[in-house]
Amino acid sequence: MSSNDRVRVRGLSIFRPIIYGNTAVALTQKERDALPSPDHTHRWTVAVRSAASVPGSDQVGGADDLSYFIKRVTFKLHDTYPTPTRNIDKPPFEVTETGWGEFEIIIRITFITEAAEKTMTLLHHLKLHPWTVTGEPEIPPLEVALKAGPVHSWQYDEIVFNDPFQNFLNLLTQHPPTPLPKVKKKPVPFHLANPGSFEESKGGTPEFWTGMIAEEAERLEEARKKVITEQERLRAELIEKEQEYEKLKKQVAEGAGAAA
Amino acid sequence: MAGVSLADIRSALSIPDSTEGAGPSQPKKQAQTTRKPEGISRELYSLIGPSQPFLAAQVAKPRLKQKPKFATGGTAATKWELRTVKNPARTDGLALKHWAKASEDPETESPFAKYNIQNPVYTYSQDEYSRFLDTSNRAATPKDANPDFEKQWTKDWTDYLFRLYNDYDGRWPVIWDRAEFPPEANFDLEDLKHRYYSVCRKLIRNRPWPGDEASKTALINSLQFDIEREKMRKRYVVSLESRTSEQMAEEDALYLEVRRLEQTERRFKRDREDLMRTLAGMDSGLPYIVEDNGGPLGILAESSSRGPTKKGRKNPALDGTDSPSTPSGPVSSTPTHKRPQNTKSAAYDAQHCIIRTELSSNTPATKAAHQPAYARSSKIPYLKNNSMQTKILQSFAEMGLSPSRLVMPTKENCAQLEGLLEAVTAMLETKKHLDKVDYDIQVLKKQLGMKTGEGDGDGEGSVKREETMDVDNPQDTETDGNEGRGQSVMSVRSVRSRKKSRAMSTSSVETAATSVSTRKRQKRG
Repeated sequence: MSSNDRVRVRGLSIFRPIIYGNTAVALTQKERDALPSPDHTHRWTVAVRSAASVPGSDQVGGADDLSYFIKRVTFKLHDTYPTPTRNIDKPPFEVTETGWGEFEIIIRITFITEAAEKTMTLLHHLKLHPWTVTGEPEIPPLEVALKAGPVHSWQYDEIVFNDPFQNFLNLLTQHPPTPLPKVKKKPVPFHLANPGSFEESKGGTPEFWTGMIAEEAERLEEARKKVITEQERLRAELIEKEQEYEKLKKQVAEGAGAAA
Repeated sequence: MAGVSLADIRSALSIPDSTEGAGPSQPKKQAQTTRKPEGISRELYSLIGPSQPFLAAQVAKPRLKQKPKFATGGTAATKWELRTVKNPARTDGLALKHWAKASEDPETESPFAKYNIQNPVYTYSQDEYSRFLDTSNRAATPKDANPDFEKQWTKDWTDYLFRLYNDYDGRWPVIWDRAEFPPEANFDLEDLKHRYYSVCRKLIRNRPWPGDEASKTALINSLQFDIEREKMRKRYVVSLESRTSEQMAEEDALYLEVRRLEQTERRFKRDREDLMRTLAGMDSGLPYIVEDNGGPLGILAESSSRGPTKKGRKNPALDGTDSPSTPSGPVSSTPTHKRPQNTKSAAYDAQHCIIRTELSSNTPATKAAHQPAYARSSKIPYLKNNSMQTKILQSFAEMGLSPSRLVMPTKENCAQLEGLLEAVTAMLETKKHLDKVDYDIQVLKKQLGMKTGEGDGDGEGSVKREETMDVDNPQDTETDGNEGRGQSVMSVRSVRSRKKSRAMSTSSVETAATSVSTRKRQKRG
């Protein structure tokens, strides 16, 4: 390693798009009977992957092997699981388990030593039961759940490295991330921050695509415009009311004067 | 005919075509004459030949106006009819008539309606006034052009100014003419403008802006008003206009004097140069006296100094370097040199998800300053304000958004969310003020209602009278100075409160309804 490598490249930040989350499928009675703990109703996989999906695959994300900058991913499961802390040191960074309940999974990402960064902690709510329009959790009967197919809950995120070391930067630039597809071919992953995408998220394995970024930006922009018009309206009303208030105050004062 | 046969014979005998050498042959000429442009007589064309096409274009017959086609051959005359003009600018319902083509849609608005542009009306609430606009108790910042002056303005005066602005449609001389400020104010036209524009700027700057930053700055710049400059300009114009004829004559005389002096100086310089050359055979080596460019004679001085400077620059030009371009050379070449690199690196950055930021020179290059790696979503701002938190959550839920989570937390989207959060907070802030004022109004109304109820004795009679009251006859009311909608609503409200059976006024019903619905939402969420 030359001394040049351990120089931080100032004024530069580099990020890598990742997704984390889980898929879950309901188990049939037969499958459940085969399990060591028959009260488990679902088989789920929690994972950290690259954002783009492999074309034609049934997996959400994972087009790139993230091990070029991630050394280890630790999934901290519910304490009721045997060895609840699962360290995954090589790709795929995922844990498959069976269970009956939803809980928060702590995901710790350890970067390779070249990065010289601390571990990063993410939180994911394990989703077993299908999404609903209202957002209220509903537990459908087994047949319905089986028919509905796998449940997907994925969060897109970007890991940002500020002023990376030269050698780490080189490592990263040797692995440019697969860009998200420019056209939508599959359903979009449902997200609570966008309840409107419920219909769009139906029908098979979802996939992240670039349009989602613009779509969200548009929604935010629209909301902001709406809020601002609402504020304008409120302000106009407020000003009107303030004038009314002033007049009333004067009236009251006059009335008091007259009474006295 | 003969020519054709001649050519046939030539081809039959395989004699090379000698038209070029043997002079113009008949068929060729015919082909050329067929291309004779219009508007040029055959005789003339044969004289000037095809070699002057531009001439032909010039000689071309001037195009005369086409004979008007009267409605004789099939096409009927266009029908016109007298129609009322739809002018949205009219509020009094006066209907004016116009001749319009019958084929036009009678529902269209007047084509001149688009020129009826309203000045945007800027208003402000009490809270906004006290936060941004109140200058009376603020310590004068050195930035203020005239802090003493700004301090004078009260809210009443400012309100009055804004009302005048709207009444007279932003015509400042009229506003200034009609304005009746107390004598101690003694405002100039510029003072009024200064106050108005500074208030507008402050409002725009402090309010959430729906568009992008560029349009905001553009609008703010359009409302820029430099009072000092404007006053100076007017002083200058006044002084220019108020010169006496003696002063003007003096100015002219001075101008001539200066020209004379300059000429003498130039002549002296030239003479000296010549003298030195004849005596010593070399340049004087003395530097040219550079005339002072300052003052009103700057233009003259520059024009006279241009000669010598050009001469002086000749030497480097001889060396092969083009002197005027030398200083500008690197400046002009760098951007062109850089641009392809930039686009290339932009594509590279996009591919590798690299974001470059301008390094400020004073960033400490220590390890402590390093910002550790982070997930983009972690930069979404927290909801700090606890009292507002539930309301913020509610408004976000109504819009189908979440204040703390994004589907695609990219850099831009995080920034967008932050902007939205700010806007929502500002909106709720306004709502809070509105509710407070609303409550205050209720309290006052109740006070008033009770008072008048006690005073009147004959409650029912007054109710009837007020119910039949029209907006048009304000004499009928107990209050002076109220007009329009506000009054009629108010009096109805006061009637209701007087009746006691329905102590709640319309506005309080509204707020009650909203509070019910919010309670519902809270329960659901």
